[in-house]
Amino acid sequence: MRTAWRTLRTAFWLGWQVESNWTDPLLFALYQVVRPLGGLLILLFMVRAAAGPAAGPALGFLVVGTAFWPAVVAGMQGMAWAVVGDREHWRTLRYVYTAPVSFRAYLVGRALALVASASAAVAVTLLFGWAVLGVPLRLELGELPYFLCAWATGVTGVLALGLATAAGVLCVSGEAWRMPEAVGAALYLVSGALFPVTVLPEPLRQVASALPVSWWLEALRRVWLPENSPQSFPWASDLQVLATLAVLVAAFAACGLLAFGLSERRARQLGILDRETGF
Amino acid sequence: MSPWVRSVRAALGRAYPRLVGSNRDRAWLFYDTVLPLLGSVALVYVYRSLGAPDHLVAYAIMGGAAMAFWMNVLWSMAAQFYWDKMAGNLELYMVVPCGLVPILLGMSLGGAVATLLRAGLIVAAGSLLFGVSLPVRDLGLFLAVFAVALVALYGLGVTFASAFLLWGREAWHTANLFMEPVFLLSGFYFPVRALGFWTAAAASLIPLTLALDALRQLMFGPLHPAFLPVHVELWLLVGLAAAFALAARASLRRMEHLARREGRLSLRF
Repeated sequence: MRTAWRTLRTAFWLGWQVESNWTDPLLFALYQVVRPLGGLLILLFMVRAAAGPAAGPALGFLVVGTAFWPAVVAGMQGMAWAVVGDREHWRTLRYVYTAPVSFRAYLVGRALALVASASAAVAVTLLFGWAVLGVPLRLELGELPYFLCAWATGVTGVLALGLATAAGVLCVSGEAWRMPEAVGAALYLVSGALFPVTVLPEPLRQVASALPVSWWLEALRRVWLPENSPQSFPWASDLQVLATLAVLVAAFAACGLLAFGLSERRARQLGILDRETGF
Repeated sequence: MSPWVRSVRAALGRAYPRLVGSNRDRAWLFYDTVLPLLGSVALVYVYRSLGAPDHLVAYAIMGGAAMAFWMNVLWSMAAQFYWDKMAGNLELYMVVPCGLVPILLGMSLGGAVATLLRAGLIVAAGSLLFGVSLPVRDLGLFLAVFAVALVALYGLGVTFASAFLLWGREAWHTANLFMEPVFLLSGFYFPVRALGFWTAAAASLIPLTLALDALRQLMFGPLHPAFLPVHVELWLLVGLAAAFALAARASLRRMEHLARREGRLSLRF
């Protein structure tokens, strides 16, 4: 356990360096917030084009979804990117893998570094939404435990999704770069990041209901937005949302670990764990 | 062999892997088409959830097609020398007798045609999925705007490529930085006039801004809040195409010289 914790910490530091030391801190901070803010402004102009200046509660829904989305992407894609990057780009996967450390803990540490770097984007987007766009965002003291619980459970869920994606990436070579992006794009569509999942057709709504990310975003919105805001699961109480999130995260974590174990074994059997494709 | 023949052959040779190779691998076609389509579908649902009219839904679908072109220009033109540096091809490009310009021309030609196929698939799939019609009022003018915009866009890509020649690891992040901000400034998913005249005018340096506005005027007529008249936008695009061609040539020479002098041509990380 101590080795795993040390591995996680070191991997976190390594991930942070890989992400941030290509430029000076100020430019890095700008880089972290420009994309999410750009995304939010696109949505703002879309809302204005469709509904006029009085966008109403839909804007709050978009602001919270857009604010927290970088954390989803960072956690889920970060783990898969760590595999692909170490294998193809830095060519260090074989050394990391054969080192006497937990490979899973290493990947979790790398992904958490990205989640930490995405936190700035989360904070700035929420602040922009509240101060500039006038969205009635709030975080009451009494709801802080709910928020922290939802945040921690959600990040775990995103890491579980990342582990499942990394499992796929381990056995794919040529298109491994694109797979995390594809999973991210699919989640963006079905998880209610931008609109309530009630808008989706029934089959996609069922998929959304089975994803921890949909429930995570719902839980976060219940904390940050007023009660009359649109909801993805209006029939569920706040506690039901949190409980469903926890159950789904546990299920995805189990599936992610199982998939990763199977995929790792298969990649080792086939001798493709460190196969480079000369991207 | 005359230099012209050599250049044409080099350009066609570099276009070949883009035209044939990229379609040989079905996974590439899938990812290049499905990824922008998924993003567009998500934005279509945003419009639907707001009860927006059909022409705004069509904007989101057109945005997906524009995104395919922009991603091709950004990742497969601008950042291509970065990939080539990683793969060890850049040194080879530097010593071939035709020079870099025909290689970049070939990349542009192959990339434009291959992306056209993907953009066509995105538009077809999007309009079929959501039952949106995309009428064209003046086909000749529509094709002229589209063709000139492609020349200007890939000219911008070649100009960027020379800048990226100098960069190592930051090339990746810089390319990333040109995603959402460009989608915003060029009005990929909404009428660019909403940004205000001067912001839209500044954003017109990106050829897709004028192209999307002109194409939307030709498709949706008075429903689209136009930024400038179509003919003005066409001539501006012609100007941009010429300017980027000249800028690309000058910038390529300058950056190649700098990269050689500072020893960055084979600098990978």
